[in-house]
Amino acid sequence: MDNLVDRMRRTSIFLPAIVALLCGLTGLAAQAADAELGKEDKACLSCHDKEGLSKTLESGELLSLQISTKAYEASMHLGTSCEDCHSDLDAKTHGKAKKSIKSKRDFSASMRESCRTCHKKKSIEYDDSVHAALIKEGSKKAPMCSDCHNPHTVRSAKILQPIDQVPCAKCHEEIFKAYAKDVHGQERIAKGISAPLCAGCHQAHAVKAASLGSGVKDACLACHKNAVEKHQDWLPNTARHFEAISCPACHAPDAQRRVNLRLYDGVANKQVSEKTGVPQFARLTDAADSKDMGLDERALWSLLKDFNRDGADSKTVLRGRLEVRSGVEAHQLSEKSKAIKDCNTCHKEGAAPFQSVTLTIAGPDGRPLRHGVQKEVLSSLTSMESVRGFYAIGSTRIKLLDTLLIMVVLGAICVPLGHMTVKRMFKSVREKLEAERAAARSEAANPSAPDAKSPSDDATK
Amino acid sequence: MHKLYINPLPVRIWHWTNAFGFVLLIASGVQIRYLDLFQWVNFRTAVVAHNWIGFVLIANFFIWLGFYLFSDKIKVYHPELSPTKYFKASFRQMQFYGYGIFKGDPNPHHPNAYRKFNALQSMMYQIIMMLLVPLQFFTGVLLWDVARFSTIVESLGGLRVVDTVHVLLFIVFSGFIIVHVYLASLGHTPTAHFKAMITGYEEIEEEPAKEAPAKDAVA
Repeated sequence: MDNLVDRMRRTSIFLPAIVALLCGLTGLAAQAADAELGKEDKACLSCHDKEGLSKTLESGELLSLQISTKAYEASMHLGTSCEDCHSDLDAKTHGKAKKSIKSKRDFSASMRESCRTCHKKKSIEYDDSVHAALIKEGSKKAPMCSDCHNPHTVRSAKILQPIDQVPCAKCHEEIFKAYAKDVHGQERIAKGISAPLCAGCHQAHAVKAASLGSGVKDACLACHKNAVEKHQDWLPNTARHFEAISCPACHAPDAQRRVNLRLYDGVANKQVSEKTGVPQFARLTDAADSKDMGLDERALWSLLKDFNRDGADSKTVLRGRLEVRSGVEAHQLSEKSKAIKDCNTCHKEGAAPFQSVTLTIAGPDGRPLRHGVQKEVLSSLTSMESVRGFYAIGSTRIKLLDTLLIMVVLGAICVPLGHMTVKRMFKSVREKLEAERAAARSEAANPSAPDAKSPSDDATK
Repeated sequence: MHKLYINPLPVRIWHWTNAFGFVLLIASGVQIRYLDLFQWVNFRTAVVAHNWIGFVLIANFFIWLGFYLFSDKIKVYHPELSPTKYFKASFRQMQFYGYGIFKGDPNPHHPNAYRKFNALQSMMYQIIMMLLVPLQFFTGVLLWDVARFSTIVESLGGLRVVDTVHVLLFIVFSGFIIVHVYLASLGHTPTAHFKAMITGYEEIEEEPAKEAPAKDAVA
């Protein structure tokens, strides 16, 4: 152990230079393939590759300090020396002085900067992710680098990752179970890398809330490149369907669907986000829906007005989208042949997808904040402005127009019928007058004729 | 009774294409909007048929427009510029349909090839052909491919506004067609006007007080 400490002390003066050099290098993966353990690393591992080596943390958790030399040699970090990441260790005191670590979580957080030193691009992506936002909000569960990547065993992303070792499943267990049974999961199990795993659709580091924007749909279309053309073969208004309906709404046929009215910035053309520390959405929706029965047309209208008050930077509008109700259901994708193709599912009055309506704003962390909306807003004349961009023929039709149609058609039938009836009632009068006119004409034509036909004679013809 | 060539061939082709087309558009539109009540064909077929018939009628509209723009028959659509004359004529016509017709009074309007519409028809057809029909076609095209025309749709107030205008016009046309058929049966015989729109020749009753028939009478 003394030797090890000695060596570490000697090398510690070179650490900044080594780190800088490593950061400047590209193609670390290629290097790793040819690299082998340095003397110092071997020295580290001579202690750390011991079964049961661990440390009890302040939290009472047991932090394993064991690093398998074999696994490390097979990892992507083989070309990286121990000091590159653990530069904070003082070779003089390491292994001697007791260093206090609060918890595993604290330790992971303290190591993030080491990852960032080399993985700059991924770190920037991560900083913009829903996971990083959750951490900023104080989440104790949102993942940091080491929660998904064991730094001592991390393998290349190009190597097929077994489906049961996907780190996302640790937190998103229910979703992962659904995925494992759906068309993608089954394909992954059967055929391997050709089918997407979590990161294939959600991105590993720049992961955003799936209900935000169109990121996930773009991911679907990135693989299913001819999806639009294939739908155009049979689906009228294909582009509109693609805009207003999420893929799982049809491709997860057993899922429950709902209408999601998303608050959109009509100028910037992006979803409105709740500002950090200013819980405007909850305040306004609670005020507009004090009985918590869901926002009605009037409440929705006044809510939009509140968002668009004088001084607002943008014009807030609602954009509706038909989607499945949960993340689990979004991962119950079926075979193409089982996808919903029957227009009646959505275009019939009372169609199930339109019985549930929710209003959404993107929360400060990107995850949606929701408030219920009464389903009647979709078929009300007074909400024509507020839900101007969402309309499904048949199922969200404005009821008042139906009444108007009945009145107009009844009127158009009754007026002629009435006119016809009156005409019939006047038949005898008409015949009498016609006979009189004929007689008058005849008299005018032959004023001297004494035996002009009587009107009653004419009327009988 | 004499015959007057009042409906030239292009007008008749346009009229019957338009008539059958509108009936089909109304039928397919009813099925599309009221799928819960009517399922004559499947929804997709109704939508595709509705779109195609719509485009045929748009082309047909231009036959009508072209004929009138490039022939002197456009005079039939010339508005009466004197409001006094126009309102008097309209009032006479309304009086005829609302009262005179029951007594067997003669129709106050005496058509000829350049003045075939009475005052009410003249106003109604100008509104229909120059405003309502083009507006219905326009909104129909927007709804045919909403994403392609999203900028226009949005500038008009959104999808719901465009659809509501389309449906309101559908309601107007549904009522119009029923009333139109009835009014067409009010000629000197119930089928006179229908025959005229098939043969082109309208049978005109002789006016008792006037001796000479119209200049362009053919028989």
